[in-house]
Amino acid sequence: MKKRFSWQNLYLIFVFALLYVPIFYLIFYSFNRGGTMTHFTGFTWQHYTELFSDSRMIEIVVDTLLIALLSSLLATIIGTLGALQIYSVKRPVVKNAILSLNNILMVSPDVIIGASFLIFFTFLGFKLGFGSVLLSHIAFSIPIVVLMVLPKLNEMNLSLIDAATDLGATNFQVFSRVILPYIAPGVFAGYFMAFTYSLDDFAVTFFVTGNGFETLSVEIYARARQGISLEINALSALMFVFSLLLVVGYYFLNQYNSSKRTRKRQRLEATQIK
Amino acid sequence: MANTIISFEAVDKRYGDTIALNDINFELEQGKFYTLLGPSGCGKTTILRILAGFTSATSGEIKFKGQKINNLPANKRKVNTVFQDYALFPHLNVFDNVAFGLSLRKVPKAEIRQRVLEALRLVQLTGYDDREIAELSGGQQQRVAIARAIVNEPEVLLLDEPLSALDAKLRTAMQVELRQLQRRLGITFLFVTHDQGEALAMSDEIFVMNNGKILQQGNPVDIYDEPINHFVADFIGESNIVKGKMVKDYLVSFVGKEFECADAGMRPDEPVEIVLRPEDLVLTDVTKGKLTVTVDTQVFRGNIYEIMSHDSANNQWLIHAVHKATIGQKVGISFGPEDVHVMRFGESEEEFDARLETYEGEEE
Repeated sequence: MKKRFSWQNLYLIFVFALLYVPIFYLIFYSFNRGGTMTHFTGFTWQHYTELFSDSRMIEIVVDTLLIALLSSLLATIIGTLGALQIYSVKRPVVKNAILSLNNILMVSPDVIIGASFLIFFTFLGFKLGFGSVLLSHIAFSIPIVVLMVLPKLNEMNLSLIDAATDLGATNFQVFSRVILPYIAPGVFAGYFMAFTYSLDDFAVTFFVTGNGFETLSVEIYARARQGISLEINALSALMFVFSLLLVVGYYFLNQYNSSKRTRKRQRLEATQIK
Repeated sequence: MANTIISFEAVDKRYGDTIALNDINFELEQGKFYTLLGPSGCGKTTILRILAGFTSATSGEIKFKGQKINNLPANKRKVNTVFQDYALFPHLNVFDNVAFGLSLRKVPKAEIRQRVLEALRLVQLTGYDDREIAELSGGQQQRVAIARAIVNEPEVLLLDEPLSALDAKLRTAMQVELRQLQRRLGITFLFVTHDQGEALAMSDEIFVMNNGKILQQGNPVDIYDEPINHFVADFIGESNIVKGKMVKDYLVSFVGKEFECADAGMRPDEPVEIVLRPEDLVLTDVTKGKLTVTVDTQVFRGNIYEIMSHDSANNQWLIHAVHKATIGQKVGISFGPEDVHVMRFGESEEEFDARLETYEGEEE
């Protein structure tokens, strides 16, 4: 029994090592004084200072974050409204058809979506750049949001809506005071998912960036093709730390929400004991 | 009928081809406790939903204080509902749940606070105002749901089987509390249930429903003592129902014998059904009894013995006796003329009332 337990641990360690070693390898060499990723010759912050003085790179990072924030925000709004609309469809056949259309967008390869956007934008004569990237990011984020919000809606007890109406709520009040608070966890999850999808998307963005506008993933790809620069490593390390902080922050936010109730309860019991 | 607050006039409700409600007519007076009683699927909840405004009637008129309200949206109606599953808002605590209706109407904060605490006091939940809904037991959630409805001071409170999810003991306690609450508030309650005991215990007036129709309306005693047909007799309380024949006024024949009864106004030799309540049947000696039966089974219920027996024609007789009998023994059962209740086939409530008036007038 004990032996099997240690095998399980070993397996877990192996899997995580496999997943994280390349990243740590990258981060490790971001501190390398020698300009290569093969021989570690000494510690330096040089690549980081280089990165921060690279105004083009800073601009790209800001653009990428702006795209991610804007596209996920808009996608969350559109996707939530879409989920509400799908939810209100009565006929199961129609509902399933719409859901399937939504899911197809989720599973179809990014390359195809990217290429189709490119064709679409050029057909319309739409100038490629910030606008086209933003629009396409919104487009591929919407199905994700729908998928995160819809289960919450399905979970909701229909009589809550009746109850709110019964107490005098208008349609808008029913939405803002009952439905929205109820589906909020799904909406937030959808927003975070859309944000990360937008942040790390390469394939779709690659097709629709055009000249003069780059996002991080496209820029890194371009630089990696030109040859190794440890500035990329430094950037990757910072991105890794950033996403780590995001995940940890999200975890604590969740923890705070779920424990608010229990802590309140404990406090109540504590006062009762006294 | 000066105090009529709600009336249904020839209300029909159809879902496609299925008829949910068929020609519903009734009036509710101010300050009374009404119950819609019937098996599940009989349309009682549909009536409630039409009254609350969640669904609309296919035809007919719903009036509130004489005003037609068919097209008035639910959020504008002066009725509030207590839902079967309570439908409390999980993201709000007890106070905010109860305050929901008032805060929508932009009532001043101080007044909201005072009225919410008062409502919570009425349902005996003082001190629970900052609890979360998930922390409450079923009975407490039930009370919050009631407080949330009554805090808006509705003129009619609709209750959709609100006690069905509670355990038996709590349910009995809540029945008494609800009845007291209704008296204290003085508003009209329309209570929906499939539990006949609940209906008899709480109501001023009961509407017995089946298949989308109101079969009988009356106070609990009338409905129990004078059920209009087989369904009502069978649904309300326990009963022995046998086929018989009306020989003449005040004389009916069943199981091959003739008995005195208190009913009249029917055709001679008209086929009828006879109801005898088990608690009206008294066990005696075979010689003294009006009927002779053989005891089959006997169950001790604490306050009574529930005895199943059969007569020579194989009719089942259920008897509630104070003293116990011996299984397999022949016993006599006796009953008075008042205990024999005669039901005609296919008689409507109006015909029933009219017939009752003709001969009850004679007696005086």
